[in-house]
Amino acid sequence: MKKILLLSCFISIFLSSCDTNDDSGLCCGPDPIIAPQNYAFLRNNESTVKFTGQTTRIFMAEEIISALKNNDTQTQSSLLAMFDHQEGAADFSDPELNASGKSVRSKTAASSDYFSANATEAAEIKSMFDSYIGIQTSEVFPNWNTVATPGVAGQIADGSDTRYIGANGLEYNQAFAKGLIGAFVTDQILNNYLSPSVLDAGDNVSNNDNDITDGDNNYTTMEHKWDEAYGYLFGGVAQENQADPLPSIGQNDSFLNKYVGKTNSDSDFEGIAQDIFDAFKLGRAAIVGKDYDVRNTQAAILQEKISQVIAIRAVYYLQTGKLSIESGNFGAAFHDLSEGYGFLTSLRFTRDTQTGTSIFTRSEVGSFISELMSDGPNGLWDVTPATLDTISEQIASKFDFTVAQAASSN
Amino acid sequence: MKKNITFILIILLAFVSACGVDDTSDIQPTDSYDRSALLVNWADNIIIPGYANFSQKLTALEVASEDFTQSPSAISLDGIRNSWLDANIAFQKISMFEIGRAQTLNYRNRLNVYPTNSQEIEGYISANSWNLELPSTIDAQGFSALDYLLYGLGTDQELLEKFTTGPNASSYKMYLLDLVTTMQNLTSEVFSDWNNGYRASYITNISSSASGSVDQTVNAFLFYYEKALRAGKVGIPAGVFSGSPLPQNVESYYNQTVSKLLLTQALNATVDFFNGKGFSSEYQSNGFSLNSYLEALGSEKNDASLETLINNQFQVAFSKIELLNDNFIQQITNDNTKMLEAYDELQRNVILMKVDMLQALSIDVNYVDADGD
Repeated sequence: MKKILLLSCFISIFLSSCDTNDDSGLCCGPDPIIAPQNYAFLRNNESTVKFTGQTTRIFMAEEIISALKNNDTQTQSSLLAMFDHQEGAADFSDPELNASGKSVRSKTAASSDYFSANATEAAEIKSMFDSYIGIQTSEVFPNWNTVATPGVAGQIADGSDTRYIGANGLEYNQAFAKGLIGAFVTDQILNNYLSPSVLDAGDNVSNNDNDITDGDNNYTTMEHKWDEAYGYLFGGVAQENQADPLPSIGQNDSFLNKYVGKTNSDSDFEGIAQDIFDAFKLGRAAIVGKDYDVRNTQAAILQEKISQVIAIRAVYYLQTGKLSIESGNFGAAFHDLSEGYGFLTSLRFTRDTQTGTSIFTRSEVGSFISELMSDGPNGLWDVTPATLDTISEQIASKFDFTVAQAASSN
Repeated sequence: MKKNITFILIILLAFVSACGVDDTSDIQPTDSYDRSALLVNWADNIIIPGYANFSQKLTALEVASEDFTQSPSAISLDGIRNSWLDANIAFQKISMFEIGRAQTLNYRNRLNVYPTNSQEIEGYISANSWNLELPSTIDAQGFSALDYLLYGLGTDQELLEKFTTGPNASSYKMYLLDLVTTMQNLTSEVFSDWNNGYRASYITNISSSASGSVDQTVNAFLFYYEKALRAGKVGIPAGVFSGSPLPQNVESYYNQTVSKLLLTQALNATVDFFNGKGFSSEYQSNGFSLNSYLEALGSEKNDASLETLINNQFQVAFSKIELLNDNFIQQITNDNTKMLEAYDELQRNVILMKVDMLQALSIDVNYVDADGD
């Protein structure tokens, strides 16, 4: 017996030591790529890092999700206009955002890899977000001062907070915000800016090899594309801290930054924020060093870790929602499940680094949503703990974390 | 060999339970402590008498509110203020039992969310229109809304003017009456549920699963201690969660001299519940409690019995609270360190109860920290 125990100890030591695939590019070759301490890169003593466009779009998205709760000032058309902002239109409170020609909607379900030849699905996803706005204004806003009951939109208490839900129990503003984490932020990072189809497009490689910068800018196009990926995670950080953003991780926006921070504060996933930051730095250093293998390895790490964050948060919210359902606390449950709903839709934009496609197919994600909403006639009012467990297990089975590990996060 | 088989069985058991389905409603208690007697003690000697007492005080408050609104005067104002305090103290004895109907009604929040939203209240009164059933009006009702109307409208003279000759006098009166009636209705709903069937199912639900009465009650008790007592009454106003103090968030912001009284009443109730003490001489304990449960299990920490550690820690917390000014706003403004010290001692029992006690009792925490958005 003792021998067996001893043996299994050895086996587990062996297994875990094999598990560390630390090929961070420090081993071979004449010029090892070394990441700087901060995300700071210079050419001719001037910074080559720029991602103001991402910052702008994150700020626009912040204003939209906040406006979704302003029943007294917003209408369907004002919200749709914010989402699909046109240059110069006075959609936002910040005049700089109004002056910008960028919009959130144009970058929703818009990555090169997933949607450049998939216009049908891209249009469907964009109109899914449009429909959240439509239901919020046509169903939830009119019932703002009504007590919600199964099948009737209105208010529901979540402790001392008030939530505003549709007839099916869904908080559309949460579905919208958490859905954007996938369709907008994650899709742009993983399937656009970190993809060779964007990094290596046109003459990017030869230009980068020969230090040919992009017009008047101080960066090569490839450098800039990588920085734009970084900007979707760290664009909300105060400018002076953007090169060293981890101290405030989780507090810089309501989107991916927030949830990388929350995932990182669960002891089961502690360090994931550092892993992500390190991969961004090393990948960028590899572009400077013209080592595209190292760059691609770091891109794969980012795609894997960020996909994990989305899946962990989806499971987390389904599980906390389950606890509240079990104790009859519908208000708390619907809030968590609405966040979970958004993260479920975000799963579509995760990425399997082997295949370069989503870890969850469009139809798998569609099934999750329909399972969640179809235990009875009134959507979340009827969802059972068993259904929430089933979906959670299906998600976790594609990763090396367990439902319990994800559920214990905060 | 026998040992090996046992070992394998344990592993198998662990495996099976880890993978098991969720329906744990027929899981029997794993220890021999008489959970049924424990639940009877809680229901019959603590909880139901507590609601009976609170209902009585609310009835007195209702009478006083009718007196006051019919003829507002210094005397009737004094009367309703006294009834408000009596009822508030009685509420501190039952606030922790947010289970059953109380939970579905969001009872504690309906009765005692603070700080109150005086602007919102004034808005309803001047519009002469409100609906206290809406969750968004939660911060405009309950004890703290009454606190505003009875202590927050200026001098007694100014207050009486608002209820007599002021332009919205009838609206003030209606609002005050509606606040008291709502508290009364909610309480009678919870109380009558206990008396009509809930007690019976409560005391027989002895299973050691998340849905069992012991698990539910202990979770409600801990949630209350951690969030409502430790954080709400002390930590939040002392700035533990915000970086800087928030004196405007004390319980009883307008009648400032009773914040400490309400805290000590709440902590007394907490200690009494832990020790299974009957509500009054009329309701003697049968001796079953969390204290005696831990004693029966022989739970120890650092070579000391866990129940003794917890009771001692309650006394340490009391000794720190004794040092505080009756008026918490003054205490926070003049010497917030003492508030923080009281908080720290209350916090130590969160660890002893939420971690050590729950582990000893094999109870899972059924609540999570709010997500913050």
